[in-house]
Amino acid sequence: MTVDLAYQYLFTGALTVMAVLIGIILIRSIIGPRIIDRILCINMIGTLVICTIAILSQMLDESYLTDIAIIYAMLSFLTVLILASVYIRRLNLTDEDEGMKAGEQPPGVQAFGAQDVSLGQTKETQASVPAAGSLQQDKNSRETVPQREVPHD
Amino acid sequence: MIEWIRFWITAVILFCGILAFILEVAGLFRLGFVMNRMHASGIGDSFGLGCVVFAMIISSGLNLDSLKLFLLILFMWLTSPVSTHFLSRIEVNTNPFIARYVRFGTDYGKK
Repeated sequence: MTVDLAYQYLFTGALTVMAVLIGIILIRSIIGPRIIDRILCINMIGTLVICTIAILSQMLDESYLTDIAIIYAMLSFLTVLILASVYIRRLNLTDEDEGMKAGEQPPGVQAFGAQDVSLGQTKETQASVPAAGSLQQDKNSRETVPQREVPHD
Repeated sequence: MIEWIRFWITAVILFCGILAFILEVAGLFRLGFVMNRMHASGIGDSFGLGCVVFAMIISSGLNLDSLKLFLLILFMWLTSPVSTHFLSRIEVNTNPFIARYVRFGTDYGKK
């Protein structure tokens, strides 16, 4: 048994296990009760795919696949950040660390520079957010967030 | 002989990485709250990817390819906590039943 054949078996076994794990994480992302679970599963699938490409670059002895792995890492990071910022913009979050009230726009919305998107969302979100006087001021219970979706857990 | 030593070191470290990924997926199904699942995700993102890519570094030897793989480890270790922190911040701000799972301090939100 030569060394090359042993490497072939080792990398094939590792790639098989990783493919099975990606399928299991995909099931979790389907049954995940809230959207945070789904974004988290997207992040984990990205990590596993990066490892898969890194193994393939050694298994096939192709050096350029390593560059593809680095680009995939950057794209995976960008995917999570963009999905999270879109989710923030849709829900019109209240940020208590910045001393914001419930009806105001968080400062991150203007920082992203998408004025047309935030203008289109403002009528819909402000209609659902109740007035600031009727909100509870209890910070420990955190019931002041407008309840868009009901968590299943 | 030296090739076999390199192969066995690669195999052991790769097995550690695969074991970290299996633990990650097991924790994803066993744990009941999103932040616990984020902890399970962090195991695979840091330790699993570090072990697997470090095994590839040992397998490739000392060349430009191993430098790129090292840069990949560095990039993922820098960006994975950022995205996890971003997601946990969204979870704290949007979950209306967050007080069931997380106990905030009395001076939370004060400067």
